[in-house]
Amino acid sequence: MESFVLIKQVPDQSSKAGINSDGTIDRAKAKRMLNPFDRYALEAALQTKRQHGARVTAITMGPPPAIEILYEAIAHGADRGLLMTDRRLAASDTLATAYTLAQTVRYAGSPDLIFCGLQTTDGDTAQVGPQLAERLGIPQVTYCEAFEIRDGILLARRAIEGGSQTVTVPLPALVTVANSAQRLAYPTLRGARRVQHLMRDEAARAEVIQIINLDDVGADPERCGLKGSPTIVAATEKVGEIGGNCQVFQGQSVPSLVKSLTEAASISSYSYAGAR
Amino acid sequence: MVQKRVLIFAEQVNGELQPIGLELLGSGRLLADKLGATLSALVLGSDIAHLPPILIGHGADEVFLADHPELAQYRTLPYRRVITDLIKSWPEPPHTILLGSTTTGRDLAPRLAAHLETGLTADCTDLDIGPFEYANSKDPSKSGLFPDCLYAIRPSFGESLKARILGPWKNPQMATVRPGVMVPLAWDGSRRGEVFQVPVQLDPSDLSLQIVETVRNLSQAIDLMRAEVIVSGGYGLGSPEGFELMQQLAACFPNSAVGSSRKAVDSGWIPYAHQVGQTGKTVRPQIYIACGISGAIQHRVGMDKSQTIIAINKDSSAPIFKFAHYGIVGDLYQVVPEMIRQLQQDQSQPQANLSERIPVLQGH
Repeated sequence: MESFVLIKQVPDQSSKAGINSDGTIDRAKAKRMLNPFDRYALEAALQTKRQHGARVTAITMGPPPAIEILYEAIAHGADRGLLMTDRRLAASDTLATAYTLAQTVRYAGSPDLIFCGLQTTDGDTAQVGPQLAERLGIPQVTYCEAFEIRDGILLARRAIEGGSQTVTVPLPALVTVANSAQRLAYPTLRGARRVQHLMRDEAARAEVIQIINLDDVGADPERCGLKGSPTIVAATEKVGEIGGNCQVFQGQSVPSLVKSLTEAASISSYSYAGAR
Repeated sequence: MVQKRVLIFAEQVNGELQPIGLELLGSGRLLADKLGATLSALVLGSDIAHLPPILIGHGADEVFLADHPELAQYRTLPYRRVITDLIKSWPEPPHTILLGSTTTGRDLAPRLAAHLETGLTADCTDLDIGPFEYANSKDPSKSGLFPDCLYAIRPSFGESLKARILGPWKNPQMATVRPGVMVPLAWDGSRRGEVFQVPVQLDPSDLSLQIVETVRNLSQAIDLMRAEVIVSGGYGLGSPEGFELMQQLAACFPNSAVGSSRKAVDSGWIPYAHQVGQTGKTVRPQIYIACGISGAIQHRVGMDKSQTIIAINKDSSAPIFKFAHYGIVGDLYQVVPEMIRQLQQDQSQPQANLSERIPVLQGH
């Protein structure tokens, strides 16, 4: 069984590094991290390894430093990694990204399952997974919270508004994993040692992590990056700050702070007392 | 002249229209009027002939109805097939297609966009039509002046910025829209519109996914959307136990609910159903009490239409104080218990007054 997990390196929003004074992000300076949603996807892929002996391939697309998250995936137990990196990928929107990833997946093999995080924390679109499934012509299960595989059939529970849905679908299929799924366990000692070894030994690394470009996977550069993207960010505007209007209470004793606030905001009128 | 269309996808569950469809009609009406286009609604399901009049009464000029047993519940591939077949049967694709940013819309819209090889913007909070002039030396083939583009506006990552995303080079221009943001038109029974039956021709491969069971606990889903008072906790709570305190404060109000920021959900402190913000729910209660929430843009877009926003935060420079109406700079673990105490005191007073009055009345 072959499981692919698609992961992305994103800026770490909890770090102040690389945040410009105007609120924009300097991606070169920002701290980088594995997209938090992808941790759930990686755990799901590793579940297929534990339960069905699947070979787990981690795939990412990004600038050269993105190899860091392939190491991270391997430390957690992934068997191999592919880094798709190419200058012509700059300014890719979700459609162009899904095209590039579809070519990369085809190049990497014939997966039974493809796992993606529900979305990334930098784009927040949740579009690339379903767009990739459409390009590969396979069914998808989005918002997956839990699953098992029986006789080549995926049985999955997905989150929906105010509840959940259980579905079955024959493999191959693409699964986007919700952040209500199983959390990622700690890296294994064996995995961590393996990464240490790979970082020291370039020949060993080349056998486990493949670094590829658009030509390797036969992707049409016209359909990638800026040229292949049907959308652009045309303008950004600062969200209006209603600065100065907030009536802030501070510096008094807590009971008087609370009293001033509840009176000013007429909170009590919505409480049980006010409802009478 | 070829008909120009703005097409909205109206979701139904068990034959009942979901509010997002009417919200999309409200927004789509404005776009269609600016474009001089027809506003078309598309609804798929089984035994749903009663739905088109509702859609027309809320603004649709025409309704495309796909009524088939295999479409009773939403499934990606059958819905994708019927919708792309319909669009491809038209001499020209719609100018704009709108879907909701629901679990259904976010599942379906990217499949449609990839199939139609067109642009899609996720989770918009505002839409408009306007001109756009583009010049980029790296990609000269796209340069030009485009008079009528869909402006898809959404909050941008980690930044206090809103991005305007455009894709005027190819129709349809697609967007998903956050539930609870757009305002539906009032029902007008005098509105007239045409209803078209959509042919349904499914491929056996479309039916490979089967639904075993669907469980909906609607009370949980609706609480946040209907609550008059929302008490929300963020990462500043420091631990999952903080939500017990949020629950206690919420319990002081008869029509209340507990919300949370994404970071608290990501930390596993509270289920996703409570999440307010860009990737959670959009709420507009009378009172929103944000405890230990910094007020990042992703949270803000889910709650900044609340009538009164109250912030309790240790950090006086937290962005939430820039858009809250009232705030306390202090330790929420001191402030919130005191607030509960004072609200409960208020609560006991009228009771005391009432019991005092009764003997007086009896005495007369």
